[in-house]
Amino acid sequence: MTRPISALRGAGEARLQFALYAAVCLAIFLVPLAVGDDFLLNRYARYLVLGMVAMALSLSWGYAGILNLGQALSFGLGSYCMAMALKLGTVPVHTGSDGLPDFMVWNNVETLPWFWVPFHSTAFAILAGIAVPVLVACVLGWFIFRGRVTGVFVAIITLATLVVANLLIIDRQPYTGGFNGITDLAQLSLFGFTFDAYSKSTYYLVAACLTVSLFACLALTRSKAGLILQAIRDDERRVRFFGYDVAAYKMLALAVSAAVAGLAGMLYTVVMEFASPTFLDVSLSLSIVIWCAVGGRQSLLGAMLGAILIAGMQGALSESEAFLDTWMLVMGAIFVTVVLVLPNGLAGLVSAGAHRLAAMLASRDPRRGETVHLGKPAEDRP
Amino acid sequence: MSAHLQLSDIRVSFNGFLAVNGLNLSISKGELRCLIGPNGAGKTTALDLICGKTRADSGSVRYAGRELSHMEEHLIARAGVGRKFQVPSVFRQLSVRDNLEVAMCRHTGVFATLLRPARGRGGEGLETLAEFVGLADALEEPAANLSHGQTQWLEIALLLAQDSELILLDEPTAGMTQQETVKTADICNRLKGKHTIVVVEHDMGFVREIGDVISVMHQGQLLAEGTVREVSQHEKVREVYLGSMGIGGA
Amino acid sequence: MDFFIQQLMTGLSIGSILLLVALGLAIIYGSMGVINMAHGEFVMLGAYGAWAMNAYFGLGLLASLAFVFVGVGAFGFAVERGVIRFLYRRPLDTILATWGIGVMLQQAVRLFAGGELRYVEMPSLLSGTVSVFGVIVPGYRVFIFLFVAALFLVTWFLMFRTSFGTRLRAVVQDRQTAMCFGVNADRVYSLTFAYGAGLAGLAGALVAPLKSVSPEMGGAYVVDAFFVVVLGGVQSLFGTVASAALLGQMSGSLAYLANDTIAKALVLLAIIVLIRFRPQGLFATKVRS
Repeated sequence: MTRPISALRGAGEARLQFALYAAVCLAIFLVPLAVGDDFLLNRYARYLVLGMVAMALSLSWGYAGILNLGQALSFGLGSYCMAMALKLGTVPVHTGSDGLPDFMVWNNVETLPWFWVPFHSTAFAILAGIAVPVLVACVLGWFIFRGRVTGVFVAIITLATLVVANLLIIDRQPYTGGFNGITDLAQLSLFGFTFDAYSKSTYYLVAACLTVSLFACLALTRSKAGLILQAIRDDERRVRFFGYDVAAYKMLALAVSAAVAGLAGMLYTVVMEFASPTFLDVSLSLSIVIWCAVGGRQSLLGAMLGAILIAGMQGALSESEAFLDTWMLVMGAIFVTVVLVLPNGLAGLVSAGAHRLAAMLASRDPRRGETVHLGKPAEDRP
Repeated sequence: MSAHLQLSDIRVSFNGFLAVNGLNLSISKGELRCLIGPNGAGKTTALDLICGKTRADSGSVRYAGRELSHMEEHLIARAGVGRKFQVPSVFRQLSVRDNLEVAMCRHTGVFATLLRPARGRGGEGLETLAEFVGLADALEEPAANLSHGQTQWLEIALLLAQDSELILLDEPTAGMTQQETVKTADICNRLKGKHTIVVVEHDMGFVREIGDVISVMHQGQLLAEGTVREVSQHEKVREVYLGSMGIGGA
Repeated sequence: MDFFIQQLMTGLSIGSILLLVALGLAIIYGSMGVINMAHGEFVMLGAYGAWAMNAYFGLGLLASLAFVFVGVGAFGFAVERGVIRFLYRRPLDTILATWGIGVMLQQAVRLFAGGELRYVEMPSLLSGTVSVFGVIVPGYRVFIFLFVAALFLVTWFLMFRTSFGTRLRAVVQDRQTAMCFGVNADRVYSLTFAYGAGLAGLAGALVAPLKSVSPEMGGAYVVDAFFVVVLGGVQSLFGTVASAALLGQMSGSLAYLANDTIAKALVLLAIIVLIRFRPQGLFATKVRS
């Protein structure tokens, strides 16, 4: 039985965890010193963004036990918010009358739709890129959790919501760009500084956002609210009878997770230089779950590194189409195996190893080897 | 005289089966009340009704002047009702310490807890409590690693940490050794007076140890009420228990 | 009047296909509590099975049905033994694992059978048309309807009139107790899963002549089938039939009234609302504790 790694154990361990997180972030910031190729840096920035989404999922899934199969929804909404602003920034090149985006001109749209208008302001877009996913998550969370829907049904509802959003975006081509998404974007300008997707600046922007959100989420998990989320994951009813409003806590987890995913989505648009319905399709959502599971759903850092590693491997191997198919097959197999034998992913493996090592070194608790294990997953079936 | 906890004419049916049928129960402040009765008498359902786990089809549950029957569970808990379940329920993946931290629920709001560290102000009280139930050595151990008896104790400790005014215990001594049962009785006796307690139990030895007044339930109704002696001489009660274990024989 | 009969027939036809796909899912979900996300891929396997039987052995569709049933059923048996049985206590992980299996199946088929569309020929015997109440209906649709009705009766018989069915229902009620009375719960579950998978395979083979066969075809079916199961309620075979009929009629008229995408979105929204308010299905009851 793997030890639950999210259980906080002593202040020493908290300090160790903090140091580990900080070291990984520092390493991420040091990468551009070793990599001069802007093309590669763009790629790495992409992986970091995906790491962010997986980390966000680990918060809701690993800590609060909410399996959100629609994580790509927040991600996609964020990316579209950013793309809308950057599209409106390209007016001189791709223009119709009134600076109408080109795909609207092709679809015979006469005037800019009302919900596009505020996106002339980059500040509004950035705000919306976080606020819209959070709002959607809150409404969805309210709808699901106030109704005491739990477990698999949460997964099904979030998945169905994602598919509906995807269908609508593809269907409403005149306003969303449909299948093609929103392409030919301007570069993001903030405070007079322009972020070229293929440059160190964008990489650092992504790295900074990643670090901030990683530590924000870490702080959340170390707060009392974070502890209550973990308690909810274990036994929701028990928590309720202590007087905590379980639905409100679950909404919190979903909303914070959506905020981080929305931010990641915005960065993804900046890095990829387009937004597309594939950013909120089911296969991306599944990939996020896979990364999170393989890295370790109960560890923010594990989930993030899992995403970076797997997406990185996939990127490196995806030169040929046939190879990609094989890769997906292998990935599926790895995923099923991890679900079966490593519920806490690679992070769980590492943590269990570390605990065993520490126990061997200290061996101050002689009972440890013979404590009774109740309700082991499935091994006690004859 | 107004009762601290008053159940009036409660009815619940599951699938057409009347689990509780016109139950009336009145318990005064600081009292320890034992609820006994044959299997299926509706004892656990009665506790479920008080803490909001089950909703009554009709009737009222009044506690400290408030009507509970339509309140949400967490609000009932905030109103001062704590509950121990028949199947011990603790947070299995969390350490014993974290279990206790969660149970110390002065502040229940999302934003209040967001700004508090997980390891907090429980500090000394928490360790005293762990020591009291014999789990001081296991503070950093995940609750999943505890034995069945230890899990029972942990849940009792959680209730003590929660410090509710009204405590509902559903078969607290199930699976406990003789010694542990004595200790549980001791805890109950100490809580008496400060807390109002309702205990559902089968173990008559335990009931004798702690109970002042005993309520006997049968077929979803109150059958008799009184001291152990009164109840065990009650003719109807003897009749109901005849053929099962017989009251008094634990 | 003709128009309504025409609509009714379309609805019945859609409904029977829905039931065909949903039946296996309903049995697996209803008795084992497993939401099999790979069910669509089992359907797809069945379709490819029919295609392969024809392409490599020159077998007609009707002749290959038995092989498809046994083949996909055996595959389901292997999946249950190899993966699912370890996850009965972790329902969320079952979703993930079966999803992963689904992805693997899609990729494997794409690798070995190619990603291009395949076609399965309709049996010439059934390619004509039949007149029902004055409406011209393709004979193959009538055949599917009758076949599904027969399949349903067989399933019902299996569940409620055989000792296997009794044992299955015992295990569903209380696994431990059933095992104490000598029921081999593991075997019962494996066979149930295999049977459900076999049904999915049959569904795939039977719809193959109506639609083109591709590695992605399963996704379209599994959503609708899942809705049928949720609507019908767990452990209610007749509920499944009723909801398949209802949905068949609904999607028949929806497709008539709205565009395809919007119809799909509406169906999904209906699923969401239904799960939120009646996760136990439309015919559930309040149970003690």
